Amino acid sequence: MSQRSERRGIHVDQSELLCKKGCGYYGNAAWQGLCSKCWRDEYQKARQRQIQDDWALAEKLQREEEAAYVSSHSSSQTQPPQSHSQHSLATFSKFEEKKTNEKTRKVTTVKKFFSPSSRTAPKKVPPEKEREKEKEEKLPGRRESHGENLLRDLKGIFTQPWEMSSPTEALVSRLRESHEAKTPSPSITRQSSIETDRVSRDFVEFLKTLHKPGREIHKHSRAFIDSMGNKKQDLSAEELSECVQDFYQGMSDRLLNHFKGSSEKVDRVMDQVEKYIMTRLYKSVFCPETSDDEKKDLATQHRIRALHWVTIQMLCVPVEEEIPEVSDSVVKAITDIIEMDSKRVPRDKLACITSCSKHIFNAIRVTKNEPASADDFLPTLIYIVLKANPPRLQSNIQYITRFCNPSRLMTGEDGYYFTNLCCAVAFIEKLDAQSLNLSPEDFERYMSGQASPRRQDDPAGWPQSGSRVNPVLTQIQHNLSVLSSLEKRQQQVIEGAQSLEAELTEWQESVAREVQEILERYPLDIKPRASAIDAENVENDRLPPPLQPQVFAG
Amino acid sequence: MTAMRVDAKVVMLGKESVGKTSLVERYVHRRFLVGPYQNTIGAAFVAKALNVGEKVITLGIWDTAGSERYEAMSRIYYRGARAAIVCYDLTDSSSFGRARFWVKELQNCEEHCKIYLCGTKSDLIEADRSTRQVDYHDVQDFADEIGAQHFETSSKTGKNVDEVFQKVAEDFSSCALEFMQEEKGVDLGQKKDSYFDNCCHN
Repeated sequence: MSQRSERRGIHVDQSELLCKKGCGYYGNAAWQGLCSKCWRDEYQKARQRQIQDDWALAEKLQREEEAAYVSSHSSSQTQPPQSHSQHSLATFSKFEEKKTNEKTRKVTTVKKFFSPSSRTAPKKVPPEKEREKEKEEKLPGRRESHGENLLRDLKGIFTQPWEMSSPTEALVSRLRESHEAKTPSPSITRQSSIETDRVSRDFVEFLKTLHKPGREIHKHSRAFIDSMGNKKQDLSAEELSECVQDFYQGMSDRLLNHFKGSSEKVDRVMDQVEKYIMTRLYKSVFCPETSDDEKKDLATQHRIRALHWVTIQMLCVPVEEEIPEVSDSVVKAITDIIEMDSKRVPRDKLACITSCSKHIFNAIRVTKNEPASADDFLPTLIYIVLKANPPRLQSNIQYITRFCNPSRLMTGEDGYYFTNLCCAVAFIEKLDAQSLNLSPEDFERYMSGQASPRRQDDPAGWPQSGSRVNPVLTQIQHNLSVLSSLEKRQQQVIEGAQSLEAELTEWQESVAREVQEILERYPLDIKPRASAIDAENVENDRLPPPLQPQVFAG
Repeated sequence: MTAMRVDAKVVMLGKESVGKTSLVERYVHRRFLVGPYQNTIGAAFVAKALNVGEKVITLGIWDTAGSERYEAMSRIYYRGARAAIVCYDLTDSSSFGRARFWVKELQNCEEHCKIYLCGTKSDLIEADRSTRQVDYHDVQDFADEIGAQHFETSSKTGKNVDEVFQKVAEDFSSCALEFMQEEKGVDLGQKKDSYFDNCCHN
């Protein structure tokens, strides 16, 4: 604006006032001598190009900066021992926050030296500002930083495109993009339940113990969640999985190579990252609409329900449930496998499977008095899955396969139990007469529900009948017999009540009849009274005779 | 054990009751099952650290169910395995037939998986030579043909048991350099090629 007023004072040639593109309209100095239309075209083109170039430049600068930082600080930057800081975190959290606050302020002041117009913006600026933005989200009560962001955005809009070549401008455009990226995904960012909030808080707390890498990790994780929020609509489950796995891989490579973390430390960090990311993404990526997971869930559930008649003996399960400790372990194993569905983080789901497996091992050990081998374990696991019919089993397996950190899934102990669970499910799906040592006819009949193995076999050949039945079943049978005796007694009471009622009505009728009879026999006969009053007047005689009229001469 | 980092997955394959579990028990706990004991809850998964030269390698040893009814699922077990110890009973020729089956499966499905043929219960044939049903040279020929290592072991006496696992660890260690990147990228059949390139140069 000021430029224009300056120009006004100076005499200019008419030709200079026309649009430089030669379209015949008047140009404007503020628009680099172009008319409004040409300016807009030019601006759009330049801006696009600029954004792309600056993005690349900013990325490059950031990488350089980080590499430089790491190489200079790798020796001095020792991370605090996490085993004990985990405990003390709660008490130190305020202190930590203060410290971070101070750091933020420092960053802000440093940053103020490099205003957006400064062409010599140092390489440090983009990542620092990004971090600044991250912190703004982390730290409540830093409202001015939000204002600064807005200001920066505004500056970005009003800065002329030819002046945008500094990395800062790239940053502004990046910020704006990331801002835009967040808005269309309210389901991810806004709809945070108490649990997600808690996990996010824990995550930030954990990362504080890592200092600079922590901030970096947080930044990347957030950016990733935002980008996933945008993508999820048009990606298949496999593509989503690939995104997440790429992210894990990239992140752990970074941690290993840039921050020189030991592999155990990296594992620990990756566990936290997984927890944070998957808690946030859970709703959108668990059993996604683009996959047929739900259909498979229903099919498996139906299948397991149809196989309700399969017994321990058919599967050759080395577990005797009448031993109290064994049945206890079995119940716990069933509870654990069902609980898996309620967890959000793949690792927590795996932990449920592992815990379930441990209970199974315990049950086998108590029964057989020797450590279980896979030959014992797999059938028992199949039996447990059949008994438990865990909700959304296929979805859970798919979810773990897609989004669990692969190193854990492939080799570790959790991976072993998970693989067994997959085998168990595969076995249940393919299960046929042969795998249960049954004749195909029997299998068909049991499957169709026409017969049940319990009624078919005679009680002697059926160890599960009689007194050796599972205590719950005996309880049920007992309850049933009590119920039926109660029903009988109730029946008697009802009959008694009915006969009593009948008796009562009869009695009432008989009474009425009797009364009627008596009434008929002795009709109420009211005889008319004698009409002469004097006739009955016995005392008439004693009355003096009526006075006779007398005449007195006088 | 859950927190233990496992470098290589080793699967135990073999017919029921050839002694897979005993082999692992012998190796890991240095004992042979004669009577009931309750110290471990299970021998299905064991992580065991070994010294190979200056390196420490942790093998995750996976026991598998050998029953024929689970044959269809065995593929799920050995997916991503670095080594497979295929066991057969020296006194049971049918168990060697089954071993051939697994070798074929492995060759078809897991090309990176090294195969170790392991005859068990050699103490029984030492006691009575007539009980041997699987000829040593036949197996050796088969092993040469498929490029596998061949051992005859006894979990009872401990003969050759350590050697099998030591060999597994050594072989893994020597090809670890080639496999290291791939090991990380093994991701249930998904492509991670882009990462192989940039992580090994740093």
